[in-house]
Amino acid sequence: MTISSTVSQDGTELTISIAGRFDFSSHQEFRDSYENINVKPMSYTVDMNDTTYLDSSALGMLLLLRDYAGGNESKITISNANEDVKKILSISNFEHLFAIN
Amino acid sequence: MTQSKQHLDFDTLNELKVVMGDEFSLLIDTFKNDSIVRVQAIKDAVASVDPEEIRRAAHSFKGSASNMGATELTRLCRELEDLGRSGQVEGSQNLLEQITTEYECVESLLKGL
Amino acid sequence: MMKAANKSFVRSVAGKSDSSDASTESVITMSIPTILIADDSDTDRLLLEKILVQQGYQVEVASNGKEAIAQFEKCRPDIVLLDALMPVMDGFEAAMRIKAIAGEDFTPIVFLTSLDEADSLAQCLDAGGDDFLTKPYNSIILKAKLNAFMRMKDMHSTLKQQRDEIKQYNSRLITEQEVAKRIFDKVAHAGCLDAPNIKYAFSPISIFNGDVILAAMSPSGNLVVLLGDFTGHGLSAAIGAMPLAQSFYSMLEKGFGIKEILREINSKLNEILPVDVFCCALVVEFNFKDQMLHLWNGGLPDGILYRPSEGKIIKFHSTNLPLGVRSNDDFDDHLVVHDLQPDDRFIVCSDGLYEAEDEHGNMFGEERFLSVIESNQNPDHLFHEINVSINSFIGVDTLSDDISLIEIKVVNADDLQVVFPEAVSSEKLGPKDWSLYYELRRDTLKDYDPLPLMLHILMQVPFLRLSSSQIYTVIAELYSNALEHGILGLSSEQKVTPAGFAQYYLARNQKLQDLVEGKVSIALHYQGDETGGRLEVEVKDSGEGFDFEPYLKDTSSEMQKKYSGRGIYLLHSLCQSVEFFDGGSRVQAVFVWGGE
Repeated sequence: MTISSTVSQDGTELTISIAGRFDFSSHQEFRDSYENINVKPMSYTVDMNDTTYLDSSALGMLLLLRDYAGGNESKITISNANEDVKKILSISNFEHLFAIN
Repeated sequence: MTQSKQHLDFDTLNELKVVMGDEFSLLIDTFKNDSIVRVQAIKDAVASVDPEEIRRAAHSFKGSASNMGATELTRLCRELEDLGRSGQVEGSQNLLEQITTEYECVESLLKGL
Repeated sequence: MMKAANKSFVRSVAGKSDSSDASTESVITMSIPTILIADDSDTDRLLLEKILVQQGYQVEVASNGKEAIAQFEKCRPDIVLLDALMPVMDGFEAAMRIKAIAGEDFTPIVFLTSLDEADSLAQCLDAGGDDFLTKPYNSIILKAKLNAFMRMKDMHSTLKQQRDEIKQYNSRLITEQEVAKRIFDKVAHAGCLDAPNIKYAFSPISIFNGDVILAAMSPSGNLVVLLGDFTGHGLSAAIGAMPLAQSFYSMLEKGFGIKEILREINSKLNEILPVDVFCCALVVEFNFKDQMLHLWNGGLPDGILYRPSEGKIIKFHSTNLPLGVRSNDDFDDHLVVHDLQPDDRFIVCSDGLYEAEDEHGNMFGEERFLSVIESNQNPDHLFHEINVSINSFIGVDTLSDDISLIEIKVVNADDLQVVFPEAVSSEKLGPKDWSLYYELRRDTLKDYDPLPLMLHILMQVPFLRLSSSQIYTVIAELYSNALEHGILGLSSEQKVTPAGFAQYYLARNQKLQDLVEGKVSIALHYQGDETGGRLEVEVKDSGEGFDFEPYLKDTSSEMQKKYSGRGIYLLHSLCQSVEFFDGGSRVQAVFVWGGE
């Protein structure tokens, strides 16, 4: 489980990449990925290209990010999720809260 | 002087003087008393022709001899201990005699301190 | 007073005389560490004692193993230095006994020896020796070793103290959790879960389970079941179950509908839970009288309706966000409606079931679950088959998530044993003779349910509490007839087919939203005493009335009976009299109990 984050050159977008299982064990790492940066991005992308699984704690962590990024005003995109991950997101109807593509 | 150095390690003895202070002479007396018992134990062991008994007796004397800096006596005890450990008794009588002689030498040297 | 004083005096004397008393000993340990030397050579012992005293230790001596043990018991030294070969009892034996006496206290034992063959060294270690010191003694090495052992000893006692604290803390925590669990189990797995048509199973991975299964009968006789799965596990997951269960039961009992209950739970959870904790839930209300269900699914796997007679499986997807994620402003309380048939099975599980893994890390999955249902021969065995299948898949001890599973068998309303609340003491009769008039106008009709309020007022009369279910049903039927037929002009004939049934409810919602004018009034007249009472319910609407005659006469069609008009039969069976006036726009039902 590794989480890395990169800020776009103009500092407006933060991309968080999650590799492996996204579950409670990555709680602190995930928070650090967006709290420990110097800029305040306008939008966020959670890249799940290499995410193999996520559990309900992970859904909770996404909600924490959403809250941190401004709640209803936040702009968060979840991208490249595989079918299994997408299914978990859609069962909880997270497409109402995040842009999923 | 060169002769006594073969029998006693004076560096060790000087250290003992520092450690013991006023009680240095008590240590010497204790060693003498101990040694009478230890030498007798070795004699008995050699007489019993029991290698294990010989080993133990030599081992015990070796310990205090080494602490007193009696280098040659320690060496002879170790030789006798090794002999006993190897299960042999041949040569033990000879070593016993050497130990007795060496102890007498050490004792007279300690007396002169 | 005297007694207490004497006691403490005795204890303090005992403490003083016993040098092994724990507190006394630890004080000595802190100030001057004690070292026991056992050597049969007076020379070596004297020398070693002198060195150690100079290094600041308190020294006790012994000249053989037996004496060493006696000294150890007497003065409990911090470190023991033992010559290996000693008369009476050698150092090996003494070491073993001393270690046994010391027990959990870490007492380092150092062998004083010039032994140099491997066998003897191994013998020292086997006897519990921690280190060796060779003759002749070197005071520097000696100092270094003893310092290291004293540090080790300190560390050991700190660790031991912390371990004991943790142990104590842990056992207190477990006790508290067990108490909390007893409360939790009453709250989280409660209601009428023991009803004969309900089967359920849950397997917690910790004392607390993040899953909640609730079931209760509404006053109208409907069975309402909620399966909830909180994020995470253990106490943090369980804590949200309390307000959830409380809202569920109390609101249901008061006659609130599941939309209101869902809204209340959502807002409560949204308010009190941290952002990252929420509750995936499925709520389903079974109306066995009309053979229909209302369902809301937010984040749980598909609810499954299995119709054995047709071998059909109907799935109810999650169409909503879980409870507690968003505020009520964004909450979607839309319910899915579906018809039922007796012997249908409704099954729902938490995602722990699909995600349960076998030893190779494969998940049980939805397909495997569905195939168990598809291959079922006897619906009565289905629940057991699912359990067997999941258990044989995962094997034992491999659960990684909470698994909850519930099955509800659809029955005829008459077959369901409704448990009525226990009779209330008749000491208090409550209000004895009163009337109430309540008029609901257009904007209120659109989205307000007057039944909880009506029921609440009626329940002030202890006698009526005994029959709350019947009374609720009477008022509910009269009110929905007035609203749906009188004001909205809907015809119950639409409800004859399952498809029409769903359409009916769609049309009802649409017409309510478009409503231009209309009002419904409810009048209650109550009179009662110790022996019995009479409740008259009159419901009047501003509509043009409806043709109620066929419902009174026609009893021939089975379908008719099933999907529509059922309410009116029900009224007749529950009430002493039901009379229609003004072409059906005014209905009066009289409910009588007790008396002569």
